[in-house]
Amino acid sequence: MADAAASDARRRPAPAQDTQPADSSFDAGALQLALAAPASLAVRWRPWLLLAAALTSALLCLAVMRLVAGLPAVPGVWVTGAQGTLVLAASPLDELQLHIGRGLVALRLPDGSELRADSGLQRRLSRWIVDDVERSNYVARADQLAMALAQPNLTLRMDDGSLVRVAPKPHGVGGLGPLFWVFMALAAALQWTAAAVLVARPQLRNALYALMALAQSGNLMLIAEQSVPGLGAPLAPNSSALWHMALDFVTAAAAVHAFALHPRRLAEARKVALLAWGLPIFLLALALGGQLPGLWWWTQGVTLGMGVLAVAVLTRSYRAEPHPFALVLRRFSLLAVASLALSTLVMADAAARAPGARDLAAVGALAWTLLFAALLLLVPFVARGRALTRELLLLATVGLVATTLTLLFVAVGVGEPSALVLSLVLTLALHAAARPWLLSGLVGGAPTGSERSFEQLYRAASEVRRQPSRLAEPLGRLLTELFDPRDLQQLTRPSSRARVLGDGAALLVPVQADGAPPTTLLLRYARQGRRLFTVDDARLAERIADQLRRAVAYDLAVERGRKEERQRIAQDLHDDIGARLLTLMYQAQTPEMEDYLRHTLLDLKTLTRGLAATEHRLSHAAVEWKRDVGQRLEAARLRLEWRFEFDQDLTLSVVQWSALTRVLRELVSNTIMHAKASRVEIVCNIERGALSLRVMDDGVGRAPQDWSHGLGLGGVRKRIKQLGGEVRWRENGAQGIICEAEVPDLMPRR
Amino acid sequence: MTVKVLILEDNPVARGFLGRVVRESFSDPIAITEAGDLETARRHIGLTGGARGLHGVDPFKLILVDLELPDGNGMELLAELPQYPATKIVTTLYSDDDHLFPALQCGADGYLLKEDRFEVLVEELQKIVRGQPPLSPAIARRLLTHFRPGGGSDANAPDGSFVHTSGFQTSRPVALEKVPDHERLTPRESEVLTYLSKGFTIKEIASLMGIKWFTVNDHIKSIYKKLNVSSRAEAAVLASKQGLV
Repeated sequence: MADAAASDARRRPAPAQDTQPADSSFDAGALQLALAAPASLAVRWRPWLLLAAALTSALLCLAVMRLVAGLPAVPGVWVTGAQGTLVLAASPLDELQLHIGRGLVALRLPDGSELRADSGLQRRLSRWIVDDVERSNYVARADQLAMALAQPNLTLRMDDGSLVRVAPKPHGVGGLGPLFWVFMALAAALQWTAAAVLVARPQLRNALYALMALAQSGNLMLIAEQSVPGLGAPLAPNSSALWHMALDFVTAAAAVHAFALHPRRLAEARKVALLAWGLPIFLLALALGGQLPGLWWWTQGVTLGMGVLAVAVLTRSYRAEPHPFALVLRRFSLLAVASLALSTLVMADAAARAPGARDLAAVGALAWTLLFAALLLLVPFVARGRALTRELLLLATVGLVATTLTLLFVAVGVGEPSALVLSLVLTLALHAAARPWLLSGLVGGAPTGSERSFEQLYRAASEVRRQPSRLAEPLGRLLTELFDPRDLQQLTRPSSRARVLGDGAALLVPVQADGAPPTTLLLRYARQGRRLFTVDDARLAERIADQLRRAVAYDLAVERGRKEERQRIAQDLHDDIGARLLTLMYQAQTPEMEDYLRHTLLDLKTLTRGLAATEHRLSHAAVEWKRDVGQRLEAARLRLEWRFEFDQDLTLSVVQWSALTRVLRELVSNTIMHAKASRVEIVCNIERGALSLRVMDDGVGRAPQDWSHGLGLGGVRKRIKQLGGEVRWRENGAQGIICEAEVPDLMPRR
Repeated sequence: MTVKVLILEDNPVARGFLGRVVRESFSDPIAITEAGDLETARRHIGLTGGARGLHGVDPFKLILVDLELPDGNGMELLAELPQYPATKIVTTLYSDDDHLFPALQCGADGYLLKEDRFEVLVEELQKIVRGQPPLSPAIARRLLTHFRPGGGSDANAPDGSFVHTSGFQTSRPVALEKVPDHERLTPRESEVLTYLSKGFTIKEIASLMGIKWFTVNDHIKSIYKKLNVSSRAEAAVLASKQGLV
């Protein structure tokens, strides 16, 4: 069995479960309604209700403390000696100081009757006495002891024959022992948690959790009473076993009932609840009537059975809707059931052995109760923070395992020191093995390694830079990669900050893109429903969104700076060097020199334009190439036939644009200068990013393989190679030359 | 009669070169005045009748203006001379539309690229003076945006509180955007611009549209004028806003 449907829902409106039992536990529409709802009366009364609950709990604890402190006892520390004798280890009474180390044989009452004394007189948890006969013996002797201690004074007969007269007196608040306070504190903590959960959202599921927590706190208070040291009368020995049983049954029934309602309401919730409550109540009635032989076996059997039922209910719930909370609850339940089964085995085994082993085994049962209380305390906080949850859980589990193992070894006859060492080694090994499961599996580990996160962040940032208004898409993809949710939605409403909803089922992340209305991303069921969103995740998501915005802003600033710098260099080059080249050109002595300088000037202009602009549309570049080539050929009295086809208007990078511009210019210049042609045909075709360019003339050029490639054609070769392509020249039929250039990929790089 | 020409150019070598281009282009006797900066140019223009050229006995018929000058930008001078009765031509090294488009808006009748060959420049200059200004695809693209209803600077143009120059009006009904009629392009002009922006030559456009090449030229001239009208209209609006008119 395990724990409840508590929610971490404090200060948060309820999801839509109650109104739409058949639907998912989370619904955006209902969420919006809930968010818009003003603070209700209940919210304003919340602090007062909590205060009242805390006061009630304190008063209850105080009453229990006073009751226990008022029970009469023979003060002192009594330990179990060899053969089950009761040995005095320490005592605050002067008359007993002399007899420390002696065994107590009997208590002699004022009327002369004697009560035989052995370790069986010490307080025990009657709930954990396996054998019915032994339990009734214990109860009978406890009653006798209570009667004996009620006398004004009695005589202790020690094993050395000496008689000591003592007056029994109440334990007093100071004599309750440290364990008592620890258990009481834990009980109080459970009561407070129950109250807080119930006040946060008064509904059936939370009431069931509160019931479980209160039942377990009752159990803890009973245990606290048993832990008081000294030879004293236990409180209500004959009914405490039944009390324990009733409390455990209530816890188990409430758990099964709650799981049928949360995180998803099952169709057969009513039947499950009926079964969960009916069976224990029937058994309890039988036990009250004394009609139940083997009480311990029944208690353990039913509790374990209910635990298995709880696990089954959760499995079904998870199949119906992959709410990660169901998974967490199921793991908690499995842990509790498995440890209970282990404790039961140890107890059953120890029952057949020496009384010493039996007492130790009782401590194991106690450890189980502690583990269970810890789990119960954890549940409301699972989605709050991962670190706290896992540490507490690890502590409780390891503590329980260590205790149980020690007891097991002692029970099977290993000496106590060896048992301690053995169990320590085994515990460490178990801890190492279970740690990954506990740390990552239970509530889900850290989303992704930071290195990978950075890479994803960088990719998303460059994407956002291209389209700042569409921040939501890359952010959504980033969060999807991080959390692997089952679904991701974009809600068209703003929200102030990232939040976890529905007990960690959903995460809301606000998106504030430049130039777009604020929206909200809704992620549901992390890691395909195997992991809960935690508050840490919300903070992480917020930081990521923030980082993304900052990365983009930084990127833009860098890009702007680079662009300004490039433009400045381009301006300087163009104005200064351009003017000088122009002067030189005007003063050129020969037409060749003039052409050479003009060419240089044109190259300079291409270069500076390339520097100033960042990218060129293919369609724009094509018309400029055509005009440029056309003008130059016209001036040289050459006819141009131009065909330029493309399937997609690519964006050329500066490198691509300037390379192609200069290749075309060079090829045309070459034809004008050397070919003595009458017409030039230029055919360019760009299909799926692959360029094929042919420049054909009808001139006098022949045998291109024998050409010596000077600056011009060498430059063409170099630039086409720079674009990852190839160029070759061949003869054009009977007259002229064809230059063919192929570039396989002009697609923009991402 | 002697044709007076003003060449505003800071580079003496280029001045000499442009002088030769001008002399080669026209058969009339030419009197060239050279200026190395804006101030000198303004003084010469002042001597020949001032910015409006109305009282001048003998204004310049042709003005070549470089853009980058020691004491400012040639466009400033163009902007001062919207009414001056000369053919105004920008001679520059800049061939990108970011420089040329504003120059056209300031009232330039054409532009020459200084690195072109001598013969090319002569031919281009003759064409411009004859009223066949060049129009590069990039500029045509800019013009299309400029004249698109509701787009570009048109969006800011008010409806007619300024001087109408002459009849470019079409008989089409007034559109919702309240763009003045004389600033609109006729469908033919839009077509010509679209072809130009796609890199077609004037001859190609003529055959595509089934008209004579000089009709295409007329459309281009008309577009040029509308561009100047629209820029002048903007200037008028600016002036009235500042209380100058």
